[in-house]
Amino acid sequence: MTNSLNDIRHAKSMIFIGSNPPEAHPIAMQHILHAKEKNNAPIVVVDPRFTKLAAKGTDYVRVRPGTDAAYMMGLVNAVITNGWEDKDFLSKRVAGFEEMKEVAAHYTPEVVEDITGVPAADVTRVAKLLAMNRPTSLTWCMGGTQHHIGSSIVRAFCILQLVLGNMGKTGGGTNIFRGHDNVQGATDMCILSHSLPAYYGLSDGAWQHWCRVWDVDYDYIKSRFKEKEWMNKKGFTLSRWYEGVIQEDKIHQYTPLKAVFQWGCGPNSNSQYHKVKKAYDMLDLIVVVDPFPTMTAVLGEKDNIYLLPSSSQYETSGSVTSTSRQIQWRHKVVDPVHDSRTDYDIMADLVKRLGFADEFYKNIKQVPEDITRELGRGSLTIGYNGQSPERIKKHMENWHMFDIDDLQAKGGPCDGEYYGMPWPCWSEDHPGTPILYDISKPVMEGGLPFRNRFGSVATYVMSGREEVQLAAKGVCNPGSEEPGGYEEFKDVVPGTNWKTDLSQKTIKEALSKGMAPFGNARARCVVWTFPDQIPIHREPLHSPRPDLIEKYPTYPDKENHYRVDTRYESEQDPELVKEFPYVITTGRMVEHMGAGAETRSNKYLAELQPDMYAEIHPRTANNIGVRNGEMVWIESPEGGKIKVMAKVTERVDDKTIFLPFHYGGMFMGESLSDKYPEGTEPYVVGEPGNIITNYGYDIITQIQTTKDGLCKISRA
Amino acid sequence: MARMRFLCDVERCIDCGGCVVACKEGNHVPVGINRRTVVTLDEGKPGEKAISVACMHCSDAPCIAVCPVDALYQRDDGIVLVSKKTCIGCGYCFMACPFGAPQFPKGTFFGARGAMDKCTMCAGGPEETFSAEEHKLYGQNRIAEGKVPLCAGMCATKALLAGDADVVADVYRKRVFQRGSGVNAWGWNRAYTKK
Repeated sequence: MTNSLNDIRHAKSMIFIGSNPPEAHPIAMQHILHAKEKNNAPIVVVDPRFTKLAAKGTDYVRVRPGTDAAYMMGLVNAVITNGWEDKDFLSKRVAGFEEMKEVAAHYTPEVVEDITGVPAADVTRVAKLLAMNRPTSLTWCMGGTQHHIGSSIVRAFCILQLVLGNMGKTGGGTNIFRGHDNVQGATDMCILSHSLPAYYGLSDGAWQHWCRVWDVDYDYIKSRFKEKEWMNKKGFTLSRWYEGVIQEDKIHQYTPLKAVFQWGCGPNSNSQYHKVKKAYDMLDLIVVVDPFPTMTAVLGEKDNIYLLPSSSQYETSGSVTSTSRQIQWRHKVVDPVHDSRTDYDIMADLVKRLGFADEFYKNIKQVPEDITRELGRGSLTIGYNGQSPERIKKHMENWHMFDIDDLQAKGGPCDGEYYGMPWPCWSEDHPGTPILYDISKPVMEGGLPFRNRFGSVATYVMSGREEVQLAAKGVCNPGSEEPGGYEEFKDVVPGTNWKTDLSQKTIKEALSKGMAPFGNARARCVVWTFPDQIPIHREPLHSPRPDLIEKYPTYPDKENHYRVDTRYESEQDPELVKEFPYVITTGRMVEHMGAGAETRSNKYLAELQPDMYAEIHPRTANNIGVRNGEMVWIESPEGGKIKVMAKVTERVDDKTIFLPFHYGGMFMGESLSDKYPEGTEPYVVGEPGNIITNYGYDIITQIQTTKDGLCKISRA
Repeated sequence: MARMRFLCDVERCIDCGGCVVACKEGNHVPVGINRRTVVTLDEGKPGEKAISVACMHCSDAPCIAVCPVDALYQRDDGIVLVSKKTCIGCGYCFMACPFGAPQFPKGTFFGARGAMDKCTMCAGGPEETFSAEEHKLYGQNRIAEGKVPLCAGMCATKALLAGDADVVADVYRKRVFQRGSGVNAWGWNRAYTKK
């Protein structure tokens, strides 16, 4: 989030696309409804389903799954053609606008209607609604990202906010809600295969930086890899790791995967989950660390699995990072119960037996405080260095002193600081940054410009135009020594920059000049390293509109995409819709969480949502001869099939079927209840919705396309 | 003496069921017994509304009027409670209640219902306050601790309000005033929207 949950209280309008907070983020709703009531702010809900948010919204827009980019570029175009864009903001703080405008011009209201199904007049109406009620807070969640063009879709969201001039302002921003109290923390620590913690990447420089932080010899780390080249290569992703085992698509690694370690992982959140089962049965070793046995624990048929019961968040402590970039301290409530052990404890034992405890714990004597200290010292890219465990705990103890509207402490021991010291928090005397890219405040008081990340000048291939990427003259935070754009700080300590200077002299130098360590640049509409430099619509891989596949085809197939060949063009078959006529999309329900191992093991939550179901429009139900509560078979083009209860509802339209994805413990019609270790069977089992989600992965991030795909349905 | 009341603000209720789960977890209510429930109207359609319902602790409560053994009674603060030791499980209160609040642990055909259970507004029961017996039969006595009931305490959007009727009314009045003031005034949207 560029802003915070609380800051939504200042929005004059809100747009949610692929986000359903009453079910996925209920706590956020108090601020959303506050803005609706206090500011008379319209809530625009863009979703294939009439969600519980739509019930609370003022304007509901039903889009066809996977057409979010077309809709957004349509809004951008409508804003520009009507002259509603923020010309001052665009001329001073944005780059590549002219090039983007050319691309957006294609998405007229009529074109958008054809692609998305949203009436043309509604496109212009919503654009006007947002333009006349600024600032707008824009929120997306996985409904926006989980498409093969997810990276383009989210960029289109950002571009809309730039065009409306809503960035760096209270009540505006791009506010992506994260799943629980530490998803942002997990992201910041890059629990992903393409980067070291804090977005440093996998270059030699990145490894050397972290080796300095860990105080471990770089050559030692290098010796842990088969060959040095593997240090710099992206690994498999969570969405396709099983291809490293089953190899249905060609892999680029010297060996197939032989073991998998799942630590707090809901495995049935993987798309094409029936293929994951094949991997379970081929692996030499599977380890599951979780408070409850996950679906992995029961699905495999080979004797290759260890379950390590870990304690819950209430039985341990440590720092966590919230969706608003605030760092909080979780205090232990009780000692671990039953035979469970804390994650720290399991990790310590594992590291000891693997033989590198000395290196691992070099800076860590006091758990968990020293972990927070170490990761903070290294994560300079995102300003994790100012939030010491002592400061974090002080904030927790003085909750009541922080203002609900702007999150700032008024008086008391945290006077002037923002709750949780939202990152970047550049030093021990920095208050945290409550709103990113806000040039109305001095840097030392939580202000920031846009980051200088992509050079100072760029030439666009589509136009041949050269443009300075730094902010215009006069655009800077109050008190900045440089009265306009400037590059990032480097060579204050020779050979280092603000990200790699562990003495933090570079950061302090910038702060003393009232400037941002990362420079002051423009936000860019053109990303020259992406296949679509400016976001465009491409039809979902499995599209219900063969005519549009021709007009908006997908990408060429991509070789070695996170170590596995990934099909695009060769997978997009215009004939597929004949056999699989319905669009499948998935999502959350408020009662269950993630893959559901924990919540389906809670008797009260299980009681509230005891059955896996598919939402089916009354017309679809009547056409296939099914009544509410009867069972249906749903099948995917990949050979997955599930038997679930029909929930007949107008939440979905007659071309779409919706599945919640929290269920597990059943597999393609068979119950696995008897396979759980004694006494651990969840109260509720059901088919994983992800057995039906289709092939398809984002071209940049490889996130799976669980929000669009095709399926067929019949009465069971 | 303050009068205790519940108020569910339908503009705020997001149908999350947090109130239901808080009540059950905190009072160890068995599965199948719902002291509180969230009712959804027009689900999936424009105009969808949700409302959290439990015993409303009525003035002139019909359950008290119909109880043949005087198991139900009203405290001075308006909270309606049942003595499970007196209740004969006849079910008259269930027929009389306009909100469907009374719950029965056994559901056999010929009337063996067991003693009635319902929302206590987290005020325990007729046994000695904070005694093990009170806790076992009725759950927590948060009112005696000076706390709001679990359901209202849990509510993410503060849709569900509970407590002194004057305070609850003040909170709600302020909200309605805010919603209805200035550009929010009823009819303005339709009448005066800029074209």
